Amino acid sequence: MIGLIGLGLTGLGIFVSGAAKVAVSYLVGFTFWTAIAIGMLLMCLIHHIFDASWSVVIRRQWEHGLTAFKWLAILFVPLVLASLFYQRDLIWPWMNPAHELHGGHTVGHDPLYVKKSGFLNVQAFVIGSAAFFLLWIWLSARLRKASFTQDADGDLRWTFMNRRTAAFGIPIVALTLTAASIYWVKSLEYHWFSTMYGVWFFSNCVRGALSCGVLIMVWLLGRGDYRGVLNNNHFHSIGMLMLAFTVFWAYVTFSQYFLIWNANVPEETFWYNLRELNHDGSTNQWWYVGLVILFGHFFLPFFWLLSYRYKVTPHIIRRIALFILAVILIDLCYNILPILKDPNGDPLPFLSVHLLWVLTSLAGVGGICVWAYLRSFPTAKLIPIRDPRIGESLTHHE
Amino acid sequence: MSDRPAKSYGIIATFQTAPQLYHAAEQVRDAGYRHWDCITPFPVHGLDRAMGLRRSIVPRISLAGGITGFITGMTLIWWTGAWDYPLIVGGKPYFSPMFAFPVSYELTILFTAFATIIGMFVLNGLPMHYHPVLKYEHIRRGMDDTFFIVIEARDPRFNAANTRALLEKAGGTAIAELEA
Repeated sequence: MIGLIGLGLTGLGIFVSGAAKVAVSYLVGFTFWTAIAIGMLLMCLIHHIFDASWSVVIRRQWEHGLTAFKWLAILFVPLVLASLFYQRDLIWPWMNPAHELHGGHTVGHDPLYVKKSGFLNVQAFVIGSAAFFLLWIWLSARLRKASFTQDADGDLRWTFMNRRTAAFGIPIVALTLTAASIYWVKSLEYHWFSTMYGVWFFSNCVRGALSCGVLIMVWLLGRGDYRGVLNNNHFHSIGMLMLAFTVFWAYVTFSQYFLIWNANVPEETFWYNLRELNHDGSTNQWWYVGLVILFGHFFLPFFWLLSYRYKVTPHIIRRIALFILAVILIDLCYNILPILKDPNGDPLPFLSVHLLWVLTSLAGVGGICVWAYLRSFPTAKLIPIRDPRIGESLTHHE
Repeated sequence: MSDRPAKSYGIIATFQTAPQLYHAAEQVRDAGYRHWDCITPFPVHGLDRAMGLRRSIVPRISLAGGITGFITGMTLIWWTGAWDYPLIVGGKPYFSPMFAFPVSYELTILFTAFATIIGMFVLNGLPMHYHPVLKYEHIRRGMDDTFFIVIEARDPRFNAANTRALLEKAGGTAIAELEA
């Protein structure tokens, strides 16, 4: 319900802000939930490849989350259709060879586009996006089927099947999420270069999935389902992973910034300059958003998650998880929204009307993802009762 | 060589099963002893709680090491590049936290690792070449199938008769005195 209302409101936004702003805002909401779904897929795959024991009781919730992929695929279609048939450069400027660039020439005559056009072309974008979703849906279906069937027959071969899926699934997901982040997000500024982009996206995917995992754990613990299943050590373990990926996110994001800062090449620095200064040299809002990301996405969660007590106290770790999810959204805004420019070529401020459409599409896409999770939830046992490691997971200790 | 009676280190009691030891540990903890220990052939989960042990303070030592490392890295780059011998490299400022960060980050990790290892050794009292329980003739069973509780004589609540009675009540057998 919330999903449909959110999508409806986002649709109304077209009449207020125009299609381009709404479409880009919708891309933020869509990318946020897709990142979380990819993260959940990765958590399941990583769980199986390491033959992990502690996360068995939590894995089932991620498996439920994976049902969101087919809905996300459907929710991505409007963006593609609008770009193909309504206005070619509605979101991604490079899709329209006649798109005018700063300085007078067009995308079709831009050497940087021509050189990249073997990768950045509409056919590759459409086929690629479809392939990403098909692969993710296929891997999710394999994982879910094996795990759910094992509940009934207890056959060990499902565990081995999942391990094989993980072995070839991890490289597939690594490559597809990298390509997806490049096509959907990075290509908004197709002039830019960064070899860190896929890894940056990956770290946000995993952080989102871990944070959602914590929210689900606390919710099911409070409701009583997980009472007697979870103990302090499950929260401690997932909290340690959150801390590890906080550091990993910082490492990757800092490396991207530092290398560009150090090399000081205009082809790369313009991306950050846009997010710091207007053309007249005054500081714009994105500078402060960048600082919020620096402190909110790294320093605060890092110091909070160092504490054992914070990690194992459900209502505190829930607060940290919500905070991290909020900053992931801001991080995605920082990467996507500055493509919307004013007539001077400066990015529109962070606090614009279209931030509202980001929030409505967040609620819209999120409502549908949560609905998909809740619809899958009653179809299987709360925990994989016949997983060979379930005993170890229930008595998880340090 | 002295012919005076050896000073007592404490009292040792033997237990046959992990649950016996676990419940005995709870009784010793509740009696308020602080200088005592359990000897088990394998880790007994939850025994730390039964003994009333708090979480280790090693993480705090690690944090202190990390902060020291970070400050050392920043200071090193600032002192060498901007203070002691100012030099322009690659058109960059004399000092910026940007290029000092990789060094600080490495030193944070290095100092954290040192602090963790050293803190762990110091708090464990390692390396320890001798311990009075090694004189106890049955102690080797503690590496195989038997559990022990040792209460040290330096504990303020230690009293040869009362402590022995406590261990007996808790189910300990073969209660013996250890010489220091």
